[in-house]
Amino acid sequence: MLEPLEEKTYILNLGPQHPSTHGVLRVVLEMEGEFIVKADPDIGYGHRGHEHMAENRNYLQFLPNMGRVDYLHALAFNHGYCMAVEKLIGLEVPERAEFIRVITAELNRIASHLLWVGAYLLDLGAFTPFLYCFDDRENILDLLDRITGSRLTYCFYRFGGVPQDIDQEFIDGCRAFAKRLRRRWKDYDNLVTKNIIFIERTKGIGVITKEQCRLYGLTGPMARGSGIPYDIRKSEPYSAYPLFDFEIPIGENGDIMDRYLVRMREMEQSLRIIEQALDKLPNGPIMAEKVPKRIKPAAGEVYAAVETARGEFGCYIVSQGDVKPYRIKLRVPSFANLSILPEISRDTLVADFVAILGSIDVVVPEIDR
Amino acid sequence: MLSENIKKALGPLGLEKVAPGDYAKTGYHLEVAAAPNQMPAVAQVMRDQGCFLESLTALHFREHFTLVYHFAHYEELCRTVVKAVLPLGQQAPTISHIYPGANWYEREVYDLFGIRFTGHPDLRRILLPFEADFHPLLKQFEEEAEKSETKADA
Repeated sequence: MLEPLEEKTYILNLGPQHPSTHGVLRVVLEMEGEFIVKADPDIGYGHRGHEHMAENRNYLQFLPNMGRVDYLHALAFNHGYCMAVEKLIGLEVPERAEFIRVITAELNRIASHLLWVGAYLLDLGAFTPFLYCFDDRENILDLLDRITGSRLTYCFYRFGGVPQDIDQEFIDGCRAFAKRLRRRWKDYDNLVTKNIIFIERTKGIGVITKEQCRLYGLTGPMARGSGIPYDIRKSEPYSAYPLFDFEIPIGENGDIMDRYLVRMREMEQSLRIIEQALDKLPNGPIMAEKVPKRIKPAAGEVYAAVETARGEFGCYIVSQGDVKPYRIKLRVPSFANLSILPEISRDTLVADFVAILGSIDVVVPEIDR
Repeated sequence: MLSENIKKALGPLGLEKVAPGDYAKTGYHLEVAAAPNQMPAVAQVMRDQGCFLESLTALHFREHFTLVYHFAHYEELCRTVVKAVLPLGQQAPTISHIYPGANWYEREVYDLFGIRFTGHPDLRRILLPFEADFHPLLKQFEEEAEKSETKADA
């Protein structure tokens, strides 16, 4: 007769180099058999010290950093920082520039969500959707490349407007892209949303309640998946968003499936915003008339928030009347969104843990800053 | 009005300042100044009012630190900023038992500024390597002063 073995937990090290961690993220898992007792995310591998850099250069010199904090939705970070500085120095942005900002930021949001869908399904073992998503995403990169000059780390907005106007070819390209992506929804539905393996792996897994969202300060699709209709574009309207008609999709159960559906529906809403903006696009200047060459705000502080693909990005600037900011704090969405991971991954399987981690849609360099 | 309710609820705490903010200029609806040891009580009030902790950070001045807490609300647009002046070398009480999300924010403030939070369950570095022996966002006032002095001499 064999004596039962001593019951002990053991440590499983996930990452920092692991395909499912989407960047350099390490999670120390304390396991009991196949179940997770405790998950401890270890972040900071990509810490570049953006906040420290901000204190050592002037306002304009810090602008290119914004494309490198969250490289998947770089234009939203451009937008948030520009808005904060414009508020600080009291600069009005012309309407056409706001429209161009909205169009490009929404295109960028769709690109970010498409990449998430593709890469997430790859985590779950489905290879084909990845190819579809990247095929669609490529169109957006081409469009944005035309006017911003880069494909990934965009630095396109300036204090007071945008440096380059959009042309007819870009407008036609956007309309053609919207038409093309709308035809794809059916494919995604058949391929993914109705896929029994996908449903089994996402329904009822990684449930987050509304109360948990609030205590951890979750924003973006993480909060909306749990039924909280919190979207900065609606709740704290900025730029030209109040002029457009769009909805905030929300989930019911707060599981992975709901977060997936929220993101899929958001892409359709982004298309709606883009089309309305193209229809209503006003003529006029794309840059404010009197932009100071040397930006030297009076002492004071400002907090400006925008909605990125992952949630609320808040830019908190403290000025002491110098050409350099005294302090810039970047309130990034994934930092708070990831901090709930230890709580929701308790007593789950490693396979489900990968599914939960992916559903948070973390961009690790954004957390590390 | 949420900001009125918050104002009313914060009243009994006897805080240094509870005043409406200039939203168009700063993005705040309510500006509050409190002492660091009042923060758990303030956080409890904000939690009861249904707010979430948006961000927590610190500012380093020559004479003191200032802890900056931002609170916002999911349903109603109302951003409250709470500032707590913390003398150099002192500890601040944690609010991570009230807002678990503050756990990481406090670790970040400790990591970048070296401010310790009493009662924090797990105050380790979060962004920098554990063996780092400096806090990167501390301003170096003395060195700067020396530099400018030598400049003036030359």
